[in-house]
Amino acid sequence: MSGRIGSIVEHAAAWLLGLVWVAPLLYAVWAAIHPQGYSTRFELFAPLTLENFAAAWDAAPFARYFLNTFILVTMVLVAQFVLCTLAAFVFARSEFRGSGLLFGLVLLQLMIMPDVLLVENYRSMRALGLVDTILAIGLPYMASAFGIFLLRQTFKQIPRELEEAARVEGCGTMAILLRVYVPLAKPTYLAYGLTSVSYHWNNFLWPLVITNTVETRPLTVGLSVFASTDQGIDWAIISAATLMTSAPLLLGFLMFQRQFVQSFMRAGIR
Amino acid sequence: MTMTRRATLGALAASPLLASPAVHAQAPTEIVFNYPIAVGGPIPRLIDGYCEEFARENPRFRIKPIYAGSYQDTLTKTLTAMRGGDAPQLACLLAVDIFTLIEEDAILAWEDMAGVEKPWLDGFYPGFMENSRARGKTWGIPFQRSTIVTYWNKEAFREAGLDPETPPQNWAQQVEFAQKLTKRQGDNVTQWGIQIPSSGFPYWLFQGLTTQADVRLMNADGNRTFFNDPKVAEALQYWMDLSQRHRVHPGGIVEWGTTPRDFFERKTAMMWTTTGNLTNVRRNAPFPFGVGMLPAGRRLGSPTGGGNLYVFKSANAAQREGAVRFARFLTTPERAAHWGIETGYVAVTPAAFETPAMRAYVADFPAAAVARDQLPHAVAELSTHENQRVTKALNDNLQAGLLGRKQAGPAMADAQAEAERILRRYR
Repeated sequence: MSGRIGSIVEHAAAWLLGLVWVAPLLYAVWAAIHPQGYSTRFELFAPLTLENFAAAWDAAPFARYFLNTFILVTMVLVAQFVLCTLAAFVFARSEFRGSGLLFGLVLLQLMIMPDVLLVENYRSMRALGLVDTILAIGLPYMASAFGIFLLRQTFKQIPRELEEAARVEGCGTMAILLRVYVPLAKPTYLAYGLTSVSYHWNNFLWPLVITNTVETRPLTVGLSVFASTDQGIDWAIISAATLMTSAPLLLGFLMFQRQFVQSFMRAGIR
Repeated sequence: MTMTRRATLGALAASPLLASPAVHAQAPTEIVFNYPIAVGGPIPRLIDGYCEEFARENPRFRIKPIYAGSYQDTLTKTLTAMRGGDAPQLACLLAVDIFTLIEEDAILAWEDMAGVEKPWLDGFYPGFMENSRARGKTWGIPFQRSTIVTYWNKEAFREAGLDPETPPQNWAQQVEFAQKLTKRQGDNVTQWGIQIPSSGFPYWLFQGLTTQADVRLMNADGNRTFFNDPKVAEALQYWMDLSQRHRVHPGGIVEWGTTPRDFFERKTAMMWTTTGNLTNVRRNAPFPFGVGMLPAGRRLGSPTGGGNLYVFKSANAAQREGAVRFARFLTTPERAAHWGIETGYVAVTPAAFETPAMRAYVADFPAAAVARDQLPHAVAELSTHENQRVTKALNDNLQAGLLGRKQAGPAMADAQAEAERILRRYR
């Protein structure tokens, strides 16, 4: 009996948390599909409209921005997977002089806010002749300390027996990495990939600073046109623009929700 | 192959007759121009249009406009690029950033550049030049400038038995009107008398009150503040009383961003906000509204606000010439009038208000002239060395007062003590 009450309470709490989480999203949908006057007035039969989306789409070259953001997150993700996998494998499975110190240095990167490095990163990009390119937005993030750390922990948990068995079967080091370690770390890759994609999808300051033209700028910079501070906030159009730009991420998450949640549980990112 | 090319080049250089057409065929001098967006509307299209028009009139120069986010973002982007050795040549930044930019040794005085004449510099409204001059020189050219005005709902005035055509003229009247305009249902207020926003940058609206109380917040050198003047505390007390004593103004912090919307939705009958909102209010208010000067305390008054044009030291001689030409191009009466009409900013010269386009606009929409008429009473926006830290000290204490955590006098004394500590080394 007490067990049932407990489970009811648990369910109620879960629903409540879910509601709190989804409320801003529901509000954004409400504001986006109604005329401006209804932004803070809730009438069930308020007239519906798609004009806010049309106005938002017109305010900046969003088609190009979508393409840029897509190129950016794909490029960063691929580079991070390759670099972090190789680095993590070394840190997880080989002991050499100074490996502890080296790993410590990598971890140190976790404690530095990227914004502090704004000027230094700008200088590097300028020296490389990369100012105003999509590559420049992604380059400082490719060797991700967080990714290396996460994958190293995952690789360390994989029993050595599997590696030895593979070696007996005649696998080289690279084949062991690709056939044993990577497949077993799939949940970690998925979880890390999601955090990385959503971070770069949302990143604003660095892309704004390092790019100058429509051809290289991501969605967030386009979105900032609506934050016109002198004039106050137009919830309807901001909601429409936000929904529009976050739609791909949101859809992706809803479709693969189960896998994501499981990966997060296993990878230990919360 | 290389030898032949070198030989050809040598021949070209040696022969002035041959070399001179090559000079003429040179690509136009490029000037990078960072600009922010702080109001709605198709600002990038307007700016791009100006740049193209300028290029047609001045084929030797090409302006490359770069949208750089909010004012704050634009400053960050510009200074980051500058420290990275890649500064733009021209930027539109807040007028109050003047001391920050001088300290960074980033900008040039306009007088030190060729093509800048005194009549041009003297052609702007003096109220806008207060924030543009320091140490005897002009560092910024007024471009997108604004000031604070009162907006009122004429319908609400009529319902409350007030003359819908007359806004409050002084502090006492403002309280009296607001009392009549506040609608209560039991403990609930359905319509406040007045809203003065206090989120984000309360110091700016507060400066309206202090100017009316006839006190200045800082000196012209930007290294001394007067927050502990009794008149400053008096101004804060008046603001606090609106909500804490008279109960005609919402308690706590009033959001800047949503105040216009509260006005449209009749949650407040009067509001103080920037002239940059004119176009927005005109488009969205579902009732007839009025725009008036802020009421007088001991005197009329409001601070100016908005952005100036700055030329960076990175510009070479040709780029400086182009930047000066472009600034003059943007501030011609016709263009200043066009910019003002399209955005709601105050046109920066008296001459702009004499153009046929502006006359027609004002005849149709008299509210557009209110900011101009208030300008003779306007003062410079609070701007000091280490501007962000000093204004933060003031903002925090203003909000503490409005939230009822501090008394007006001690709050301003605390703000002054903090500002003293920061500014001491600049004297």
